[in-house]
Amino acid sequence: MTITIILIVVSFAALGFLFRLAKGHGSASELLDNPSQHLRPVDIEAFRNLIDPEEREFLRKNLSPVEFRVVQRQRLLAAAEYIGGAAHNAALLLRMGEAARHSSDPATAEAAEKLIRNAFRLRLYAFQARAGIYVCTLMPGVQISPVRVAERYEQMTRQVVMLGCLQYPTRGVPAAM
Amino acid sequence: MTALRMLWYLLWIAPHVLQVMIVNLMYRRGLYKRFPAFFVYTIFEILQVGVLLAASQVKRGLYPTLYADGLAISTAIRFWVIYELYIYFFRHYPSLSISARTLFRATTVALLLLAVGLAIFAPSVGPDGPLRVAYTLDRTVSILQGGLLIVLFLFSKYFALSWRTHGFGIALGLGIFACVELATSAVWLQLGTMESHRILINVMGQAVYLGCVFIWLFYLARPETVPAADAKALPPQDLEIWNRELERLLHP
Repeated sequence: MTITIILIVVSFAALGFLFRLAKGHGSASELLDNPSQHLRPVDIEAFRNLIDPEEREFLRKNLSPVEFRVVQRQRLLAAAEYIGGAAHNAALLLRMGEAARHSSDPATAEAAEKLIRNAFRLRLYAFQARAGIYVCTLMPGVQISPVRVAERYEQMTRQVVMLGCLQYPTRGVPAAM
Repeated sequence: MTALRMLWYLLWIAPHVLQVMIVNLMYRRGLYKRFPAFFVYTIFEILQVGVLLAASQVKRGLYPTLYADGLAISTAIRFWVIYELYIYFFRHYPSLSISARTLFRATTVALLLLAVGLAIFAPSVGPDGPLRVAYTLDRTVSILQGGLLIVLFLFSKYFALSWRTHGFGIALGLGIFACVELATSAVWLQLGTMESHRILINVMGQAVYLGCVFIWLFYLARPETVPAADAKALPPQDLEIWNRELERLLHP
């Protein structure tokens, strides 16, 4: 009987999910009308600091085990917040890349394809990293290094700027490039 | 003939009348080239109901065998449709095509293990003999098909990948059908074939199938659109934000 009830609950939850999807299908343009309003600030340096193994070792040596566990848990949750912000921006850029992919200019289409690939990988790493972080908050002794998220975020940022330059050639190449 | 039985007949025939319209629509728009498995599935469903209706009038003894054979073929074609949806969805993302194959295989294996595990460790308490085997198989297939579609939807949602209208409609209808099938097969396994609820569950199942056919017709009749393609180019102010971000990354 328990299995039957679980299967019925799962089916109804899945149905609810499908109806929500059907309701939201085609409404992505709301997000794309003004993307800058939806972007979340991500301080990659602060994030690197939070996941730095040396910083972690320093804290372990200088704090009592109880204090270390509390501080490390807070640091990990803050890192998860940063990863969430980067993943959110990646989703937004995936959509922007998808729109630019249909460009008649081959260079723009190619840059958009690269942006999609990187944004996709970033979200994949973000998923893995966040799962790992939540496990580590339960076991602060376990060490993880979600450094690939930061690297991919840098690559993605470069590609957004490159794509923007291709879409607005008259604005010139930014100093950062 | 009771009102409930009349309703059951109506709900049995009506989806297939609409499916004739779907076949016509797909043929006229050339959609059968893009979704051959779904086209074959729709034609098969129409033919199956024709054969079953004829059998029920001419030779009733033949009906259960024809029904079981038809159900097995229909189930197999639905797997083909789901595979076609995976291929169709990821075709628009060439750089992710390896992920598509991996996702399909990994999900199939995981769901198969789950469904077989359930079949072994949670047998029915309702019917016995061949009927139990049939319902257990039905539940296993529903877990696999519903799970594969839900995973594809979850994947597209998490990675913010957009669906084309027609593919979305087919997947949505099939997903709803598979979810309801899962719930009804679980109930069948628990309660068996008591006459009091048999017709009611059948009627509910047919009504849901009619709804799914409406969904297919609705989405296939619409023009093909890509939600994200409506987006404008990257706004200049966003370009500046990202450039500042890049500068900060390069020169902290």
